Amino acid sequence: MQTAKKPSVKTVQRQGGFLIDLYLPAIIGGLRITLRHFFRNVITQSDVVTISYPEQKRRISPRWRGRHRLTVREDGFIKCVACYMCETVCPAKCIHIEAGEMPDKSVEKYPVVFDIDELRCVFCGLCVEACPKDAIRMDTGIYSMASTERVTFDYTRNMLMDAHAKTDKTKFPSTPLPLTQEEALPQSTAKLAG
Amino acid sequence: MDMILDILTIPLVQAVIKILVFVLGFVMAVGTVLTLMERKWMSAVQDRIGPNRANIGKFTGHGALHIAADGVKSLLKEDTVPAGADRFLYLIAPLFSYFPAILVWAVIPFAGPIGSVTFQITDINTGLVFIFAVTSLGVYGAVLGGYASNNKYALLGAIRTSSQMLSYEVFLGLSLIGIFMVYGTVQVSKIVELQNTYWFDGLIPKWGIFTQPLAFFLFFTGMLAEAKRQPFDQPEGESEIIAGYYLEYSGARFSAYMLAEYVSIVAVSAITVTLFFGGYQIPWLFPDGFHLLGYSLALPPVVVALLQAGSFITKTLIFCWLIIIIRWTLPRFRFDQTMDLGWKKMLPLSMANLVVTALVLLLTA
Amino acid sequence: MKRSNLPLEFGAEPMDIEIGPSHPAMHGITRLSTRLDGEVVTAVEVEIGYLHRGFEKECENSTYVQVIPYTDRLNYVSPILNNIGYSLAVEKLFGLDVPKRAQYARVILGELSRISDHLTCNGAMGMEVGAMTVFLWYVKAREYLWELTEEVTGARLTHNWTRFGGNANDLPDTFFDMLEERLKKVEAVLEEGVKMLFKNKIFLDRVKDVGVLSRERAIEYGFTGPMLRATGEPYDLRRAEPYLVYNELDFEIPVGTVGDSYDRFLVRHEEMLQSISIIRQAVAKIPKGGHYQHDRRAWLPDKTEVYGSIEGLIDHFKVIMEGSTPPKGEVYQAIEGGNGELGFYLVSDGTGKPYKCRVRPPCFNFVSALPEMLIGHYVGDIVPIYGSINMIGGELER
Repeated sequence: MQTAKKPSVKTVQRQGGFLIDLYLPAIIGGLRITLRHFFRNVITQSDVVTISYPEQKRRISPRWRGRHRLTVREDGFIKCVACYMCETVCPAKCIHIEAGEMPDKSVEKYPVVFDIDELRCVFCGLCVEACPKDAIRMDTGIYSMASTERVTFDYTRNMLMDAHAKTDKTKFPSTPLPLTQEEALPQSTAKLAG
Repeated sequence: MDMILDILTIPLVQAVIKILVFVLGFVMAVGTVLTLMERKWMSAVQDRIGPNRANIGKFTGHGALHIAADGVKSLLKEDTVPAGADRFLYLIAPLFSYFPAILVWAVIPFAGPIGSVTFQITDINTGLVFIFAVTSLGVYGAVLGGYASNNKYALLGAIRTSSQMLSYEVFLGLSLIGIFMVYGTVQVSKIVELQNTYWFDGLIPKWGIFTQPLAFFLFFTGMLAEAKRQPFDQPEGESEIIAGYYLEYSGARFSAYMLAEYVSIVAVSAITVTLFFGGYQIPWLFPDGFHLLGYSLALPPVVVALLQAGSFITKTLIFCWLIIIIRWTLPRFRFDQTMDLGWKKMLPLSMANLVVTALVLLLTA
Repeated sequence: MKRSNLPLEFGAEPMDIEIGPSHPAMHGITRLSTRLDGEVVTAVEVEIGYLHRGFEKECENSTYVQVIPYTDRLNYVSPILNNIGYSLAVEKLFGLDVPKRAQYARVILGELSRISDHLTCNGAMGMEVGAMTVFLWYVKAREYLWELTEEVTGARLTHNWTRFGGNANDLPDTFFDMLEERLKKVEAVLEEGVKMLFKNKIFLDRVKDVGVLSRERAIEYGFTGPMLRATGEPYDLRRAEPYLVYNELDFEIPVGTVGDSYDRFLVRHEEMLQSISIIRQAVAKIPKGGHYQHDRRAWLPDKTEVYGSIEGLIDHFKVIMEGSTPPKGEVYQAIEGGNGELGFYLVSDGTGKPYKCRVRPPCFNFVSALPEMLIGHYVGDIVPIYGSINMIGGELER
C-alpha cells in the first residue's frame, strides 16, 4: 500500500456571460470550423478518415491477433504435439483436439483432429501463449472470415495449417498431412526409413 | 405555328407550363437531390465520404444513384398502419405536410418579366399573406400524422410541432411587417422589383438584408423553426422522441414526409432570398442591361431573364446549403427553450424592429 | 416507482411512457418507465439487467487467467482499465511485485483508455443534444487511440493484455513512434470540440443546471469518479489510494462546483487533458527492463525457459492445467476506472479458480440516482442526463 499523496485540485471553469448569451458569436465560430472541414474535404479530401473497406484495408499492427494457423516443422510435419495446453487454457472452449500416436518416438503424439470453432473463439491469444512448441500462432493477419454458412467456421487442421485456405482443400498439396492414423503410419515409417 | 403561339397566350396554359417547369423541374428536383446532398455534405463536415455504394455495374456516380435506390426502396417497402391508428387520417397526413411546401411556389418569381410574360406562376397582390397562410397549413401534416399514429412519442412530436409552429409564426409575421413598411406593398413581384432601387447614386441596392438587417435574422430563425430544422428540430429530435410525428410511418409515406422536409428547405430558402436578397435581382442589372457609375452594358431581354433566373437559383441553393451546414454545426434547443426564445426574445425584438423602422420611415419621409 | 409531489399542471391525466429498452439513446439496454405531466417528468423507474451475462458466476468456473478476457467486456469503452484492475487484484492476492516498466506501461495504456472512455461519453453527450458532428469527431479521435493500443496488444478493443506479474508483451518501439503524433491529433480534436460546444449557448442551456445532484447526496449514493468530482469532491483513487506509479506522476484533479451535467462534461474534458499530460510524463520516465516478472504460482515462465529447460516446461504445464493458484484469502482492489471506482473483490480458496469474484461497477450507483436527477426535468433532458452518467451496460449489469 503506497502512501496517499496530497492531490492538487483544479476547479473547472464554467462558461457564461453576455457574449455567450448573444448566441451569434458561438454560432459563427462553430460554422467557421464546420466550413473549414467542409471545404477541405470537398476540395482535397485531406481530412477524410473513412476507409473504403473491401478495396482499401487499414494497416494492422504486426501483433494483430487474427485467424489461427498451425505451424509446421522443417520436414513438413505439423509442430503440434497434441499436448492439450491450448484446449485447456481456452476461455471460450473453442479448440477440439484428438491425439494420435506418432511413429516418430521423439514426438510420440500428433493431432489427428485439431478443430477450431472460429465462431466461439474470442481471439484472446491465450492459446498462443500456452503453446510450449510454438505450434499455434495468430499472425495470419486475417480478420475477416465472413461466410454465410455456419459450418465454414469450423476450421480443421489442414485449413489451419494453410494460412490462405478458405476450404479444406489446402493450397499446399505437397505438405504431407496424415489425415487418419492409418494414413499416417506408412508415411512416417517411410520417413524414418528414409 | 400561330396556333401554338395562340395556345401559349392562354393564361391557364401558361400557368400549367410554369407549374411543370418550376415545381417539377426545379423544386422537386432540388428537394430530391438535397436528400442525397445533405448526407454528402454532412459527411464532408464530419470527415467522412458519405454514401457512394449504390451502383449499376461499375457506375456509382459518387453516390448519385442512391437517390434512385432510396426511391425504389421506399416504394417497395410495406406501408404499415399501426394497430389502433386512425386509418384515414394516418394515410392522408403526409400529403398535408407536402402540399404547403409546394404551394408557396405559386407566388415566387424566378426572373423578371419579358414583356407580358412573367416567370411567376401567379402574381396575386396578397403575395406575402398567401405565403403565411400556406406555410401555417404545414402544421396539419405533422399534427395529424402524430395524432393518428396512436404512438406516444408521435403524439409528443405532434404537440411540439404545433406549439412550435404556432408560436414562431407570430414573430415571423411581425418581422416581415418591417418589409411591408419599407417597400409599401405585399405583392411579391413588387417587393423584388423595388429591391433593384439604389442608394448613393446606384451604388448599394436596397435589398431587404440592408433595409431590414434585424428582420432578416429574425425571419431566418423563424423559418428554420417552421421547416423544423436544427436547432429547432425537437418535433423530430431523434435522441429524445426518436422521429417524432412520423415515427410510425414506413415506405412511401415516410419518404413523403422526408421529401416534404427537403422541399420546405428549398421553399424557406426561396422565400428568404426573395424577400431579403433581392430575389432574382443581380445588383446593377436592369431590364436593359448593366448600369454602374455611368458605365453601361446593354443586354437583350432574354439574356437578362436567364441571368436573373440563374441568380435566383444560385442564391436559393446557397441558402439550402447553409441550412444544412447549420444543422450539422449546432445542437438543438430543448422544447421549453424554443418557446422562451420565440416568445421572450424574438417577439420583443421583432416589435422593437417594427418601432424603429416606423420611426426611421417617419423621419426620412 | 419514485414519484415527485409536484402537482399536475392542468389537472390532466398523466401519460406513462416507456423509454427503452430499445430506444436510440439508451446506450446499453435500459428501460426508463416514466410518467409525464405534459413534457415534465414526474416519476421514473429504472429497470436494468437486459445485458446481464453472468460475469461473476462465469468467473467461478474459470481459472484466474481466463477471467481476463471477460474483463475486457465489462466496461467496453475502456477495456484495459478493467484488465489492470483485475490483474492488480490477483497480484495483491499473490503478493506479487510488478516490474517498474510494466507498471508504467499499464499507466500509459490505462490513461489512453481513460481518454477513449471520456471521448465517448462527452461525444455522446453532444450527440444527445443534437451535435452529431462533435460525436463523430470524437469517435475519430478514439480510433486514433485504439490503433495505438492495437499496436501494443494486438486487438482494438478486446485487449486481454495484462497478466499476473506484468503484461503479455512490452510496449514496442513503433508505439512510441506513433504516440506523440496521435496525442497531438487527439488534442486538436478536443480543441475543435471546445470551439464547437463550450461557448455555444444552445449547448450550455441544455446541460447547465440539469441533473443536479448535491455533493452530500452524491456521497450518500456512493458516487465516485467524474460524477463525484463534478459535485466538488476531489476524490480520485489515483491519489486517495495510489496504485501503480501514479505517485511519481503529477496531475491535477478537476472538480466542478454545481454537480450538473455541464460540470460532468467539463470535468471529463479536463481529465482527458490531464491524462494526456500523464502519458507524456510516463513516456519520459519509463525505465528499461522487463515487462513481466515470472512467479511459478501465477502465470507462465518465459518462452526460452519453456523451450530450453525441463523445470520451465513443468512450470508451464502446471500453471495451465491447475490454473494460477493464489494462497487462500480475500482481497479488494479498486482502481480509478473510466467511470469511477472500479473494484474487484476476490476470494481464493487456494484452488485454481476464484471462489468468488465480485465487481464493484461505478455506474450502478449513478443509475440508482437517476430518478432523483430526472424528476422535475423535461422529456428532452432525460437523454442528456442519462448520457452524462456514462452508463455502460457491460459494467453495470455484468
